[in-house]
Amino acid sequence: MTIADSIALILLLAGCAFYLAGTIGLLRFPDVYCRLHALAKADNTGLCLICVGLAILSADWQVAAILALVWLVGLLAATVSAHLIARHAHSAGRVPARSGPSRR
Amino acid sequence: MPNSASDRCNHLLPAAWFAQVFAVLLLIWIALNGFSGLLVGTMAALAGAALGAWLAPEEPYPWRPLRWLAFAGFFLWESFKGGFDVALRALKPTLPIEPDFHQHAIALPPGKPTTLLISFISLLPGTLSVRLDQSGTELIVHSLVPETMASVDRLEHELSRVFEHARSNS
Repeated sequence: MTIADSIALILLLAGCAFYLAGTIGLLRFPDVYCRLHALAKADNTGLCLICVGLAILSADWQVAAILALVWLVGLLAATVSAHLIARHAHSAGRVPARSGPSRR
Repeated sequence: MPNSASDRCNHLLPAAWFAQVFAVLLLIWIALNGFSGLLVGTMAALAGAALGAWLAPEEPYPWRPLRWLAFAGFFLWESFKGGFDVALRALKPTLPIEPDFHQHAIALPPGKPTTLLISFISLLPGTLSVRLDQSGTELIVHSLVPETMASVDRLEHELSRVFEHARSNS
C-alpha cells in the first residue's frame, strides 16, 4: 500500500464517520430543524472527504474534476433542500424544541 | 446608487455574463468529457453563454475571480468546521444543544448576494436558514447554540467583499 493509498483510506473512513455522525444526529436530535443541521452539514463534510479520497485513489485529474462536480451538486442539493424543508416546517407552525433530551 | 456607475455596469452586463457562463460551461464540459470533442463542447458552451447573456438578471456585479477564490477558501474551512461541530454535538452523550430561532437583519443587497447568503448559512457551523420575510430584509435563522449566530455575520461580511459593486465610485 502506497502513501497515497493510505491517505485515501483515511479520508474515506473519515468521510464514512461523518455520515454515521449525521445519521446519529438525525436519530438523536429533538426536532426537524436540528435534524436538518445534522443532515446538511455532516453529510456535506462526509461527501467532501469521500470525494477527495476517491480522487486521490483514482490518480486521474478528470475523475477528480468529475468528483469535484459531484460534491458541488451535492452541496447545492443539501443546502437548498434543507432551506425548503425548514421553510415548510416554519409555515406549518413548528417551533424549535427549546432544550435537548438531556436537560429534561 | 450612483447612476453613472450602475449605467456603466449595466452596459457591460451581457458581455460579462456571456464570458462567465461560457467559462463555467466549458470547464464543466472538459471535466466531464476531457479534451476530446472540444469543438462540440465549445459550440455548446457558446450557445449556453448566449442564452445566459440573453436571460441575464439585472444585477450589475463585476466578476472577481480572486475574491471568489478567497471566499471559497473561507467557505470550505467554515463548512468543514460546521460538519465537525454538528457531528461532535450529535455524538456527545449530553447532546449539548440549545436550539432556537434568531432574527437576522440582512445588510446585503437583494438578488444574488442575498440568495447566496441564505444558501450558505445552512452549511456553516450551527446555523440553518429558515425563512426570509416578505420585505426580503429579515431572515429567520435556526441555531443549535446562540453563539453560532456570529458565523452569519462573518459570512455576510465575506459575501459583501465579493459583491461590493461600484460603491467605491459613489
